[in-house]
Amino acid sequence: MSSKRARKSGGKARTKSRAAPARTSNAKASTGYVAALAATPYVKQANELERKPTKQSGRKGAASRKGKPAYGTAAAYRQCAATARDTSKRPAQRISALRDMTPGMLDDARQFASVLDILKNPNEPTVVRLAALRSLEAASFAVNRFDAYRNDYVQALRSITNDKDEEVRTRVLGALARMSDRPAQELLLTGLKEPAKALVPPEKALQLLSYDVHADAYAAARDIAAKPPTKAARRAALRLLAADATSAPVFTKILKDKSETAAIRQLSATALHAIAPDQLQEQARQILLDAKEDDQVKAVSLTALTDLRRADQGDVDDRLYQHVNRMHGRSDSALVKRSAKRFLKKYKR
Amino acid sequence: MLVNNSASPNARYVTWAQSPCSVRLTNTSGATGPVQVTLRNKPPASKGRVVFQQTRTSARVASLNLTLPLNGASVTFFVSGAFGHASTADKDCIIQVMRGTQVLLEVPVMVRIRKNANKLTVAERNRFIAAFATLNNRGTGRFTDFRDMHTDASRSQGHDRPGFLPWHRAYLLDLERELQAIDPSVALPYWRFDRPAPKVFTRDFLGAAGPGGEVQFSANNQFQFWVTDGIPGIVREPGFDTATEGANVLSEAQTLALSSSYGPFRSSMEINPHGWAHTSFDDGAIISINTAARDPLFFLLHANVDRLWAKWQRQFIRFLTTQPDTYDNSSTRAGHRLADTMWPWNGITGGTRPPTAPGGTLAGSNTVSAPGPQPFVRDMFDYQGGFSATARLGFDYDDVRFA
Repeated sequence: MSSKRARKSGGKARTKSRAAPARTSNAKASTGYVAALAATPYVKQANELERKPTKQSGRKGAASRKGKPAYGTAAAYRQCAATARDTSKRPAQRISALRDMTPGMLDDARQFASVLDILKNPNEPTVVRLAALRSLEAASFAVNRFDAYRNDYVQALRSITNDKDEEVRTRVLGALARMSDRPAQELLLTGLKEPAKALVPPEKALQLLSYDVHADAYAAARDIAAKPPTKAARRAALRLLAADATSAPVFTKILKDKSETAAIRQLSATALHAIAPDQLQEQARQILLDAKEDDQVKAVSLTALTDLRRADQGDVDDRLYQHVNRMHGRSDSALVKRSAKRFLKKYKR
Repeated sequence: MLVNNSASPNARYVTWAQSPCSVRLTNTSGATGPVQVTLRNKPPASKGRVVFQQTRTSARVASLNLTLPLNGASVTFFVSGAFGHASTADKDCIIQVMRGTQVLLEVPVMVRIRKNANKLTVAERNRFIAAFATLNNRGTGRFTDFRDMHTDASRSQGHDRPGFLPWHRAYLLDLERELQAIDPSVALPYWRFDRPAPKVFTRDFLGAAGPGGEVQFSANNQFQFWVTDGIPGIVREPGFDTATEGANVLSEAQTLALSSSYGPFRSSMEINPHGWAHTSFDDGAIISINTAARDPLFFLLHANVDRLWAKWQRQFIRFLTTQPDTYDNSSTRAGHRLADTMWPWNGITGGTRPPTAPGGTLAGSNTVSAPGPQPFVRDMFDYQGGFSATARLGFDYDDVRFA
């Protein structure tokens, strides 16, 4: 089973829709508090609140009767950690356990290490390794407690950037790239310059580099845009180049070129808007006046003129307005009609 | 008639909470004594509907009889959205002041409520997209501040300590008010991450994952022009089938049952469901603190986190910070104690605060005065103003009642 398919079947762990029992605290409101509530719109809820602790105790008791530790307790986290490590368990069970142990693993160095071990172990099923990564990334939101483990985490990720499993490799490089990890960025750049050393396809490398753009990435993107190994790599390179103001002529050329796909012209319109919005307005006008233009590109152009035109760029000219008016009446494309309708409403004569 | 104690049409937005209102006679011609009037929703019933109260603790009624003095003195009352009857369009609810069968006055208002993104009408969705895209303005707009507020440099201000929930509540409120400055009919929708969201992850809304994870938009979706950090577009590759599954997170019921006390509730829910909702994607900016705010989905994800807190607050009546289970005030870190101001709105930099404070003060509102430009942690709890009428923050969720 491919890892992608495996993820679809096992990636979302199925758990019974039980309500996790509440850890009771001093839920019973004090008499003074309830009395204070009586003077507010919450008087009815205050009375209910007094009755609630009984229900919660009952729920917790039910969990105990089944021999299961209450959710969110150290015992429950330990049990989840044991299940997560247990290779005799089904992947879905282990994934579920990895999820449920996450809040507790930052309080137990052994549990944290065991999750790292699962991630690093090439003999583990891919879906379980990826769930371990998911668990670690979720735990990283607890930034302060995670700091104690951050170095171990980063080192573990770096140690498997050349993992045999492409999906693990890609996801790990993604995690590092989002941290602006320089060694990971270097690996990605090296792969772009020397395809034999590439750890991921060029489009993915460019996409991951876009989390933290720097000059080296622009140079690589320019090279790939000029001589793209694949269409996907070209698209990713162009997306990255949109952050470079000197690239406006490239995007103007693509947007004008009817031999390009509508999708890549749509991306060029976005890029042009980002770096040279006046040029996009002019190009959009030209596209709409061209009867042979693609419907999707026309719709993009209408959206640009309707929604992105600044007040200081003034109203649209009469010729364009009348042209769009005719287009609205004659076009077979629902997308164009819808976009034209919005344009006509905005620039109503 | 004053709505939210204001004569301005811009103040005529209500939630489930109580908006203070007043009405008085301005033209007494023909009257010889106090005038009996009835307040009601203009028939036929529209999507948005309100209820009335004479006082804060009196019953909510669909129509309210008032006696207006001849001397023009104001008579006070309260208006709230009728729960379950949020507006779908700006000012789609008309309050009528009737004298017998005679209509004396009509006041259009909107019951403006944060809704499940999967249930928005097409018009609601498009207004939200248009306002958000305007705020982004090809990566050069005011949104840049919101992107810069949520980075690794500022992560300790709003994460892994008690302030996680209050800080993000203020953050969302600031963003929502900026959206409302562009289009006052917009409320921030939420992504209910424990449920399928077939209408959210589409080319017409937040985008559908394309090959390699680059999100695809339809040609008339303004999000196609989304730019952050100079890079156009959004990368987001769900690790689950968004049309048929929720993310692999604790369900709402499980989350609400975590604990009746703030400390354990917050520390658990910050990781699951919150953290796991972020990491339920195989690739994308949404996965990490440093990059998450590059994706508009991030704000809908956090609206749901905030909604879960609001639901929890209502379930256990945790609005008053003097009640010990409402908050864990034991942190020694600045920004996480009730009496602390919150970064970046306080403008404080250096020391335990981040080196810069993007965005200035928190945006004001036409409908409420709280929390003020430099909010304190303590200002984020009584968000509906149930305990202190002036604490109202001016937002509500479609499935979280007031009182």
